[in-house]
This record gives sequence, structure tokens and C-alpha cells, in this order.
Amino acid sequence: MGDKLNLKRQSFLGADSEIVLARSRAALVGLGGGGSHIAQQLAHIGLGNFLPIDPDLIEDTNLNRLVGATMEDVKLGTAKVDIADRVIKAVNPAAEVIKRRANWTEVTAELRDVDVIFACVDSIGCRSELEAFARRFLIPLIDIGMDVHESNGEFSISGQVMLSMPGKPCMRCMGLVTDEALAAEAARYGAAGGKPQVVWPNGTLASIAVGFFMKLVAPWETHKETPLLLEYDGDVQTVSQSNKLAYLPAHCKHFDRLNELGDPFWTPDALTIVE
Amino acid sequence: MRTILKLTATLYDDLVQRLHEPHHFAGERVAFLKCRPALSATSLLLLGGGVHHVEDEDYVDDPSAGSTVGRSGLRKALQAAYTEAVSMVHVHLHEHRGKPRFSKTDLRENALFVPDFWNVQPSLPHGAVVFSFNSAVGQCWIPGQSSPSGVDVAIVGNPMRCTWKVMNG
Repeated sequence: MGDKLNLKRQSFLGADSEIVLARSRAALVGLGGGGSHIAQQLAHIGLGNFLPIDPDLIEDTNLNRLVGATMEDVKLGTAKVDIADRVIKAVNPAAEVIKRRANWTEVTAELRDVDVIFACVDSIGCRSELEAFARRFLIPLIDIGMDVHESNGEFSISGQVMLSMPGKPCMRCMGLVTDEALAAEAARYGAAGGKPQVVWPNGTLASIAVGFFMKLVAPWETHKETPLLLEYDGDVQTVSQSNKLAYLPAHCKHFDRLNELGDPFWTPDALTIVE
Repeated sequence: MRTILKLTATLYDDLVQRLHEPHHFAGERVAFLKCRPALSATSLLLLGGGVHHVEDEDYVDDPSAGSTVGRSGLRKALQAAYTEAVSMVHVHLHEHRGKPRFSKTDLRENALFVPDFWNVQPSLPHGAVVFSFNSAVGQCWIPGQSSPSGVDVAIVGNPMRCTWKVMNG
């Protein structure tokens, strides 16, 4: 028994699955309650290459949901990407982890290299910008979001997992991003405070997100198409296909132009720098 | 530096469907993928966003090759590269499974016509790719480099298909 992950029990994923997973690369944008769960699961399934991105250090209010974090991390003010790195390497020492304590907009060259982006961010604006980036470089994006709403003195938990696949309907097509929601978010800027978050809905959504990822890179069956949007009702603990899917266009009209692909400031001089 | 051609499964499926359509004398169809380039930390990316199909009348009846595109067909492809400011990747299909190979004729012709696209888009890379049913190989001519580099291909869909990740593809 060495340091190599033994994946015999997941051989049903296909003869090539171990090598495909080892050669695949995923970015995790946001290493909070959702992203930390996803990092841990991807380490267990044998993903070989990670790009965790988050500018933040852990705080005591994160400890109720950040998987792998300890009280000692809170005392030390450990970076969230360092916690993710530790969790991943503890499971799979062979994994390559290129951790970036930064905003994703500061590491776009590395982000262009990944096969899939997991969007685990809080704001609609950030989701929207990240999706535009992913579409420009033809990268599938798996977005998770959860919320706790107050109504009549009681609380309600809900969330969703979405696969934003280039060429297919986007977040705007599905109504997850609207101009009204972006404007309302901008108006609240700086006054929102900490939103309620708990560990178990994040775990449910993270598990579904990893399931989406596995269907992309190592599908165990190919006859059932994964719905692009699943909705989570945390009050009754159910996940179901969104009704919005029935009204979607076949193709996205928001990201369908050739000039929205690739580097907008392309110059062949850049090739010389890379060489 | 690796060169990767990426295209959506939607675009790939449309492309392959058209390449399968019989022509009244050409043995195979060809097309040009219209791409925009980008650099990542490790790779040159050619991002496919559309297809320039060779029209029926632009094939030349040439029994010595699977298909030969006449001057008018090449002129139209050059025109598309110029007006849309795109990298052009010549594509055709070998109807088998497993890793395809360019024929000697392919390699000779690629070296002749692909660099011609620099006459209209000198700052962009251009290339040629041959697909099989489940794999692909390609060549890319990069500005400033005299010989072509290899091309890996990623079909972005559900599932993802990336030529450099499978053992026997």
C-alpha cells in the first residue's frame, strides 16, 4: 500500500476513468461552505489537478460549514485555499494543487486551462461575470447556490445546481441572472451583511455538483441526459428538475457570437512571451 | 506549449452531420472551422465558433484524392477568414474508430494551403484537423514558427471528449 489512491471500487466509471480523472483539471472559485465540500469529494474520486481560488482567510463564523477547517485554523487565520490544499493532499498526495489566494479575475490565464469551473460564489454579479468568462473560453461551469429566506417569522431553505454548458442555455436563459436582480444587488452593496449558511444544504448541493462533473468526465451511463438545472427544496429535502427547463430555447442567444470567443486583445507577440 | 482546438458538441455534431452528406463525385467533404485564439497559462487555444462549409460546386473532380477544393472554394474560405477575422482550421473525417492519421497527400496539401491564410490573417494561427468517429489529430501553423505543431482536440459537451486524456482513443 503506497500513496496512490486505490479507485478499484469506482471501476464502473469506465476503463479509462482513472486516467481521465488524473488528467482532468477543475477550478474551484470560492472555498467556503460549498467549495470546500466539492474539493473534498473531488479528492476522493481521484481528480488529478485542482485550481482552488479564494482571497479570504477563515473566520470564526465559517467554522459551522467549511469542510476540513479546524478551530486551530481560526486561531491562526489560515487561508481558505490552504485548508482546501491540506484536505485534498491528505486524501490524494499525488494531486496537483495550484492554489491561488486571489480573486478569480487575477488568475485568468490559469483559469483558461481548466476543464470545468465550479462557481461557489455568493453574488449574482460574480456568477454572471464568471459565466461570461467560461463561455468565452468554452469551459463548462457548474454553479451552486443556496439561500435561507425569512417569511412570517419562519425560515425556508432553498438552492439550485446549474450546469452552464457552452452552446446550451445560460443563466440568463434560465432566469438566474436578470438585469433587475443585478441592479437590486448593486443597490444593496455594502449593506447586505452575512447571509445565513449551514453545512447540510451545502453538502447536498455540492454532492449534486460533483455528480454533474462526473457525468461530464467519466459518465457511467450515457442514455439519460443530465438536466441543466436542479432545484433543492431544503424544507422537505427534495431535489427536482426545474420547471424552467420546459420553456428554454434549444440554444443560448446571449453567448452565440463568434467575436465573443477567445482573447479580445489577441496579439501573436504573446506567443513569443509564452515560448 | 500545447495547442488545443476546442469546440462545442453542438457545433461538432452539426459539422460531422454535414461531412457525412454524400457529394456527387467527391469521395469526402471538407470544411473550415472558424476559430478565435487565446493563450492560457500553458496552451494556445483555438476556440471554434462556426463552420465555413465548402459548397458543392467548389469541389474539383480529382480521382487522385478523396476530395479536392478548387480555387473558388479556397478563395471563399480566405474571404471568410479576412472578413470575420478568424483562424481557419481545415477539417475532414476518416470513417473509423481510434486515432486517425493524416495521409501523405493530406500532409503535403496542408503545408501548401494552410499557410496561405497568413496572406489574409497574418497574426492568427491556422491549422488542419482530421477526425475519426472518436478521436482526432491536427497540425497548427503558428505565426513566427516555420513548422507546424501538433493539435489536441476537446469536444466540450456532456460528456467531454478530450483526445489527450484517453488511453486508446
